[in-house]
Amino acid sequence: MKRKSQNMIKYVIKRVLFMVPMLIMVLIFTWLLSHMMSVNPVVNKIGFTLDPAVYERELRRIGYYDPWYIQLGIYLRNFFIGNWGESYIVLPDKSVIEIIGIIFPRTIELMIFPIVIVPIIAVKLGVLSAKNKNTSKDVVIRLIAIIGAGFPVFWIATLLQRFVGIIIRNFTYGAINIEVVFSNSPSIPSPVPPGGFSTGFRIIDSFLYNDQAYLWDTLIHLLLPVISMTFVSLAGITRLTRSSMLEVMDQDYIRTARAKGVLEKDVINKHALRNALLPTSNLIIGGTASALLGSLFVEVTFNYRGFGYYMVQAIFTGDYLVINGLLVFATIIILSGTLTADVMYTIIDPRIVYR
Amino acid sequence: MTEIVNEIEQDEKTEGKKGNFIRLLKFYLLPGWRDPKFTAMQTQIERVKSKRRLFRRLLAPLSIVGLAMVLFMAVLAVYAPWLTPYTIDTLAQPYLPSGGIPFANPTPAHPLGTTRFAYDLLGRLIWGARTALTFAAMPVIISLTGGIIFGTISAYFGGLVDTILMRFVDFMYSFPTIILVIIITPMLGGSLLNMVLIWGLLFIPVNMRFVRSLVFQVKQNMYVMAAVTGGADKLKVMFKHIFPNTLSPMIISIFGAMAVTVLGFASIAFLGLGDQTYADWGTDILYARTRMTAIGQAFWPGLFIGITAIGFILLGDGLRDALDPRLKI
Repeated sequence: MKRKSQNMIKYVIKRVLFMVPMLIMVLIFTWLLSHMMSVNPVVNKIGFTLDPAVYERELRRIGYYDPWYIQLGIYLRNFFIGNWGESYIVLPDKSVIEIIGIIFPRTIELMIFPIVIVPIIAVKLGVLSAKNKNTSKDVVIRLIAIIGAGFPVFWIATLLQRFVGIIIRNFTYGAINIEVVFSNSPSIPSPVPPGGFSTGFRIIDSFLYNDQAYLWDTLIHLLLPVISMTFVSLAGITRLTRSSMLEVMDQDYIRTARAKGVLEKDVINKHALRNALLPTSNLIIGGTASALLGSLFVEVTFNYRGFGYYMVQAIFTGDYLVINGLLVFATIIILSGTLTADVMYTIIDPRIVYR
Repeated sequence: MTEIVNEIEQDEKTEGKKGNFIRLLKFYLLPGWRDPKFTAMQTQIERVKSKRRLFRRLLAPLSIVGLAMVLFMAVLAVYAPWLTPYTIDTLAQPYLPSGGIPFANPTPAHPLGTTRFAYDLLGRLIWGARTALTFAAMPVIISLTGGIIFGTISAYFGGLVDTILMRFVDFMYSFPTIILVIIITPMLGGSLLNMVLIWGLLFIPVNMRFVRSLVFQVKQNMYVMAAVTGGADKLKVMFKHIFPNTLSPMIISIFGAMAVTVLGFASIAFLGLGDQTYADWGTDILYARTRMTAIGQAFWPGLFIGITAIGFILLGDGLRDALDPRLKI
């Protein structure tokens, strides 16, 4: 046992060390990508100008005429001393690290329900569906799962938006103004005083400064994006749980357990589910990192100013430093996510040993 | 024994190929149907029995639904010029209809109303099937071919080649693929051919890992070792002994990948990066987003995307249940 944990630590250290050259390669690759971009950020920044001198001065200021290796060198050096550059167009004069500090908590707020609660619901649904194979319950659950898997998330989001905004419009004349849901407008100002301590999470902030109106406003803003996100992430896990559960239920040890008189509840929850969860857990843990980035289309649909929204904005306007910064940040999340998944996998399935 | 075989051959000659085909069709489709001659053909029946079982399992109700969905889309794609009076030139970007009302309600001339720039929505939906189906298959074929070549090489040779290729795969895996697509698409220009190439090339690593794991499984079988011991050529072992046995999981994965491609193309078009000179369902949803009251214009294209994707998913599931029920894709 002790030896195993030692091996584990060695393995984790090896993986973390391996992440460093990977990160440098990712940096160079993203820099190359942003270098080859077809969008002209300078035109987007200063607008179409007839004065070539203004244009020229701007190009000189951002170092356009430097050779490529000097640009890359400066970028890499600045990156490792913690200066990821400043935003050029999307949020002018804010450093990229600052931007990530502002926008990433919003995405986490949006994704916390789909990441934490949805796997629990989805596994329950999958088990229920496998237990009642080929009955009406099974059909309903599979239908929900397949709608989530087959229909594009932005379509579901758009329809939800239209539905709440137009078809049941009378609702919004009540006490809660549901119309606030779409605009994500700063209708209620943040309770954080200028220069005061802020966690970036609006829900936590409203608790810290004891502002109920802001809390409800935030929650209502989150309602529709979370619903459409839930629908999609539910689908994959439910389908996988169902199929692996069906496979496990055919095994000999399930028959043995039933034959020796174990309660059906225990057969499902203890004998079958433990084994059926192995592939599912891989999907859940490994999918968490990508789910954090996968909210892109929902954020674009609802104009939710989170990670994906600014990513798309930066790509469209050619804000190259923001693209680089966000992409590298996303890569770090994915790399650490896969590492966590591999480590967690040994805890869930003790048969796996890393050397 | 030889007499029976001679008799069968004689029958086939007299009845001709057509009669044989109908008999086989009856045999596959009608449950429990037996040809009067089958008592004499016992050996032959045994030979085709496994095929018959496979066929029966393929005909599960959900697979039939999936097949119907895909066939519906295929009919729309093939007979598009006959199904709608509008030609593709009058439905896509460079052409702007004069005097039309954008986002109009349904009229006899426009059965589902009009979308942005007063294009006919139904016409765009029908021509969109052609775009979607044509370009759903191509990235999958490109990425799977690349995956097969590099994955097989990597798994079979092992050692340094394997390490280098797998490091490359790890490198590509560390990027969020969808964001990479969004960055690269405007870089090369969003024409459909470019999109196909980008999707095909970016998804090669996924298929490399998939094919490699399949080959590793097959490699441990006894017949591969026997072939190696017998002194077979490396390429021959790879592509004659190992490759055919990895085929069925690959065929199953094609359908899932096609559903992903249809959805992916729609999402890229939804962000406004698609080729707007084609009728495309994702672009339709993007158009509908410019007006809040355009509910039908947002609803129909998404429904068509969903029908196509779900059709492919159901077909893939049905094939998996029939061919390889233990496979997890």
